[in-house]
Amino acid sequence: MAQGMATLGRVPGVAFVLVALFAIFAAMSPGFSTAPNLSNILVQSSILLLLALPMTFIIMTEGLDLSIGAVLTLGSVVLASVAVSTGSLTIAFIAAVAIGLAFGLLNGWLIAWIDIPPFVTTLGTLGIAQGLCLVITDGTSIVGMPPSLHFFYSGTVLGIPFPLILAAVAYAVMHGILYHTRFGTYVPALGGNREALRHAGINDRRVLAIVYGIGGLMAGIGALLLTSRISSAHPTAAIGMEFDAIAAVAVGGTQFERGEGWLLGTLLGVVTIGVLRNGLNLLAMPSSIQVICVGLLVIVALFFDGVRKAHDS
Amino acid sequence: MRLPLLVIRNQSRMTDLATIAPVQADSATARGPLLELRGICKTFPGVRALDNVSFPIWAGEIHMLCGENGAGKSSLMKVLCGAYVADEGELYNHGEKIEIKSTLDARQFGIAVIFQEFSLVPYLSVAQNIYLGREFPGKIPGTIDRQKIRSEAQRVLGMIGSDIDIDAPVHTLGVAQQQIVEIAKALSQNARILVMDEPTSALSDTETEHLFGMMRRLKAAGVAIVYISHRMAEVFLLGDRITILRDGKMVATVLPNETTPSDLVQKMVGRKVDAIHRRGDNIKPGAVALDVKGLTGPSGISDINLNVRAGEIVGLCGLVGSGRTEVARAIFGADRITAGEVTFFGKRFSGGPDEATRMGVALIPESRKSQGLALIRSVGDNIVVSSLDKLFPSHIFHPGKAAKVAQAMIKKLRIATPSPRRAVQVLSGGNQQKVVIGKWLAAEAKLFIFDEPTRGIDVGAKAEIFALMYDLVENGAAILMISSELSEIVNVCDRAYVMREGIIAGELSRERLNEENILQLGMHHE
Repeated sequence: MAQGMATLGRVPGVAFVLVALFAIFAAMSPGFSTAPNLSNILVQSSILLLLALPMTFIIMTEGLDLSIGAVLTLGSVVLASVAVSTGSLTIAFIAAVAIGLAFGLLNGWLIAWIDIPPFVTTLGTLGIAQGLCLVITDGTSIVGMPPSLHFFYSGTVLGIPFPLILAAVAYAVMHGILYHTRFGTYVPALGGNREALRHAGINDRRVLAIVYGIGGLMAGIGALLLTSRISSAHPTAAIGMEFDAIAAVAVGGTQFERGEGWLLGTLLGVVTIGVLRNGLNLLAMPSSIQVICVGLLVIVALFFDGVRKAHDS
Repeated sequence: MRLPLLVIRNQSRMTDLATIAPVQADSATARGPLLELRGICKTFPGVRALDNVSFPIWAGEIHMLCGENGAGKSSLMKVLCGAYVADEGELYNHGEKIEIKSTLDARQFGIAVIFQEFSLVPYLSVAQNIYLGREFPGKIPGTIDRQKIRSEAQRVLGMIGSDIDIDAPVHTLGVAQQQIVEIAKALSQNARILVMDEPTSALSDTETEHLFGMMRRLKAAGVAIVYISHRMAEVFLLGDRITILRDGKMVATVLPNETTPSDLVQKMVGRKVDAIHRRGDNIKPGAVALDVKGLTGPSGISDINLNVRAGEIVGLCGLVGSGRTEVARAIFGADRITAGEVTFFGKRFSGGPDEATRMGVALIPESRKSQGLALIRSVGDNIVVSSLDKLFPSHIFHPGKAAKVAQAMIKKLRIATPSPRRAVQVLSGGNQQKVVIGKWLAAEAKLFIFDEPTRGIDVGAKAEIFALMYDLVENGAAILMISSELSEIVNVCDRAYVMREGIIAGELSRERLNEENILQLGMHHE
């Protein structure tokens, strides 16, 4: 019994919040707990997961990436315009991934070698990426996508939606990297004790730069889903999505200091935000209210963890 | 359990010296020293950290490195491990010149360092920390073999006789356990030269004995150990040779059976001092500054009764883990209490640390780096930080005035810093401790709670810290001092309380204050 209580005590706040939200929406909205809607929640969450996974790494290094939403948007804009001009989706996808990776590595280089604080660096690249989106699109949407693009957001493989497969692969790969590679071992070390890494003869700057590079890379991959979702590219499509990504990481219980982090928590955080947004949509709440609710969610989830931590000590 | 260490060491000293000294000539010695330092120099802006240091390190010896704060021990250690590159000088291995220009070079040559500042990652497990940067590759390319890391870590910890859980994240461990992980990390590198900076400062008696046993086995296997210590007993118990540094220069290398502790101290400080200067007997206690009645808290302390009067230094001792620090924290309002009351200067206290500070109480914590100082800020800023309200009642900061206060304190406490604007983190341990004291002096504190005031501080600076404490009480302050060093409690305190497992086991007046009585009270009786 005492063992059971102790185990319960380790369940993160986000799990309780997720269950509670689920129960509330299931009770209030008949359409919520249907299989198509639940599948829909997961599909809608897939883009956010692609951003939140590398964001977890970044936050574990005691860093932050504010530019990730803008880079995702830029990736989408580049993908669409290259697709329109070349007609090749493959080239377009490669271009989107390349621009994402380039921005990620630029962030990484500025932060790791030039020692500009992550907040300032990524605020700067946020502005650059956002501005480039407007320059490329002239402020309007890019339409006329090849029909095959439709598959990546709405298609299925063996009955499973493609975005879910992509998200699952991304999670598995990132989990493998974090917990089963040398590189992953050095991620919490960057946030927890960079000096220790240096003493161990590790090139800490390179590891840090690659962490940000992965962020940009994942945003580039996410651009495929985003563009497919709306069959076009819009210069403000995912502006502000860094907010949800950071919120998901925080809700998942990753601390912003000393390298403490938990990838599964981020997955739970992403799904929780997905459930919240979907449920509010079904209740016909405007997106302004949704943003408020995501903000509240962060505080409520961390409130539980904070209270319990205070209680434990 | 640290307390009986001195007794044990003194008993075993004779036999050990007989077996290990002098250094035996064998095949290895015929090939010349494992590592020879010749004319090593390292200069930092304004400081000559190492000035023409030359000495050999032989395979199979324990080489003690002694010196005061800022004598250059840490700099030398950093040169050996590749963290610093010497400006001048050369390194020779068996007569052949070698280069150590990075930590990787040092590791490849076989130098492992146990740092005093822990180089551990809080949210990695014990096993992952031990093999940080040296992870075993897994079957799938690019992955690591977590099972092998665990089993190897278990093996290394077994060698030092530790039962720390290899899967525990390091942040859940206490200081002593972290120290063991740090030692295991160095041992796991199969080093030819092991450099240790005060490795026993946080270890229990049993753990220390295990470490010493381990060191003797490594020595027998031909490993050279460079050992930095401020504990005379260790220096004489373990050392085959002793090299003394002062102001970055090499003073001498001596054999332990050709020197005495007082001779060593004299060489370190360059003048004759007593290791610990005993306070005079003319103590005139004044009004009660601290009165604690029935203090009980969730941190494991129960029914603590004690008091400290103005003009008194009262000791609080007991084994590591007996609840001394917890009592200090509860008194200061840093930990929750469930029963009892604390009175400062006759006024009931029930607030938090900020309220205690306003009432003139200063807690000088054990880990000054994490709790007592803003390391990247300047000496001056650290000194005035707790007295801003007093200095600037109008809430407008006046740099000139702050600088004057800081300058006065630097002079008064003889803090060795080229300027008040120098960052605290570059100062030596003893000088950092002085900055903490200066901060509370500037804030006009009247009750000082010192938790291990001399941890990591060398012998000359210790004497200075004690002189400062005597000065404080002679000017009407009251001091509660926690220390694991029995000789310090006995020599410095006017009386002492001895703790055992969260309770006060007894009080010893000055007449009865000796090491045997403290041990009698502090040890568990079945």
